[in-house]
Amino acid sequence: MGQAAEVFLGILTAMGGFVEIGELVFTLTAGTRFGYQLLWVCVLGTVGIMAYCEMAGRVAAVRGRPVFSLVRERAGFAAGGVTLVASLVVSLLTCAAEIGGIALLWQLVSDGPYRFFVLLAFVAFAVIVWVLPFQWIERVYGLGGLMMIVFAVTLIKIGPDWGEVAQGLVPRAAPSSGSARDTLLYAYVAVALMSSIMLPYETYFYASGGIEDDWKPKDVTLNRVVVLVGFALGALLAMALIGLGADFFAPHRIDPQAPATAALAASDALGRAGLALALGGMFFAFGGAAIETCLSGAYNLAQFAGWPWGKHLPQRATPRFTLAWIVLLLLAALLVVTGIDPVQVVEYSIVASVVVLPLSYFPLLMVAKDRRIMGRHANGWLSNALGWFYLVLVTLAALAALPLFFLTHQGQG
Amino acid sequence: MSRPLDLLREVLDHEVVDVDGVSCGVVDDLEIAWTEGGPAVVALLLGPGAWSRRLPHAVQGLARRVFGHAIVRIPWREVAKVSETVALRSRADAWGAGALDRRLSTWIARLPKS
Repeated sequence: MGQAAEVFLGILTAMGGFVEIGELVFTLTAGTRFGYQLLWVCVLGTVGIMAYCEMAGRVAAVRGRPVFSLVRERAGFAAGGVTLVASLVVSLLTCAAEIGGIALLWQLVSDGPYRFFVLLAFVAFAVIVWVLPFQWIERVYGLGGLMMIVFAVTLIKIGPDWGEVAQGLVPRAAPSSGSARDTLLYAYVAVALMSSIMLPYETYFYASGGIEDDWKPKDVTLNRVVVLVGFALGALLAMALIGLGADFFAPHRIDPQAPATAALAASDALGRAGLALALGGMFFAFGGAAIETCLSGAYNLAQFAGWPWGKHLPQRATPRFTLAWIVLLLLAALLVVTGIDPVQVVEYSIVASVVVLPLSYFPLLMVAKDRRIMGRHANGWLSNALGWFYLVLVTLAALAALPLFFLTHQGQG
Repeated sequence: MSRPLDLLREVLDHEVVDVDGVSCGVVDDLEIAWTEGGPAVVALLLGPGAWSRRLPHAVQGLARRVFGHAIVRIPWREVAKVSETVALRSRADAWGAGALDRRLSTWIARLPKS
């Protein structure tokens, strides 16, 4: 395939894979509760995930090292081990939330028993990951997720107040209505929204994917373009969802707690086609994220322990890695089969994620900025500045996340 | 090797790759012994028996009960090159590494499209 086609496909895949269930829940919540006031958090989080995915991809391309090998090399066994366990818990919870979200979507369109759909999702994903090569999985789900562009079209059809949109891009510490409870809730949704955009598994999966795709130092530019353009376009979808919260759900007094509610807006504005595209887009987005989270859990474990890993190798050459993703997928399915509300799982996974972020980002930054390791591909001033800025930011967010989670009664105000 | 080797930063916790390019674990510990020329690294140690010693005392016992205390000892003279990974000049199975992988692999190989 030509370089241009590869870049184009990479961008579309990154865009379609940007939004998953956590982002969907928190963008809609942010928009419904606070209008466009939290739009700036979307921009803030997107620049952060760009900075760190670009670094992770560059390290993978230049040195062939994935994130968790670096975590172990730099943080040692005990501290690295804590990061590993925390990241596995987060991957498991996120995977469970995505599977639950898919089962809810299926239930919505076919009215069958929820638990049956959870098990069906497990079997379907296990077969898909087993049979399909890595590039296929990445592209089918990334491109399928593009159907969510329907949300942006819906918002434009509704016609947002562009003045409010522009105001929302300006950071503000507290919401316009000033009660203390509102401010706490605002802070909680801000932290959760940022965390949902910067989910740690995205960095792990992105770097491991680069190694699966056999990136070489010459792919550093491809990596940069895909991250910058693909994630920026993906962020537009996330921002459109905030807009739907602000301009559709809030005026209709709908609290979009169930993820599938998002499809209501598309169906209202665009009819049956809108509904179908919205449900289809969410189906691929959640499915892609379910596969990516269970694979990234297995990547992390294998990289930490030095097992052979990767979908580019046959299953029989990577037995422990293969077993790891199957077990993770199974545990995630069993977790949702208990009947726990997927949205609840989303909230836990988002809060746990933000705690894992500093632990994963620090070793990555240390390696990416090290000229002895990266040579001329080491971080420039911009990557370093962004790297330090976001490291401090996610550390503060990690410290604030749990208190806010409890003070706001899990975001219920 | 002409330049000094930083054992803690360049060897410990780095992936070990055998002569076929197969990952066979991570350097969990180093064995250091007195030789005629003073202390020297004589072997790489891999496996739960080696890494469990690096955990806080309170969880060491638990780790050993769950993961066992097997140690794979690879003599330092088998190390061909130290770069991103520690490359061996022999195959991993010669030193008993990756035994579990081989057993699991025969099971997985029976499934279709494996």
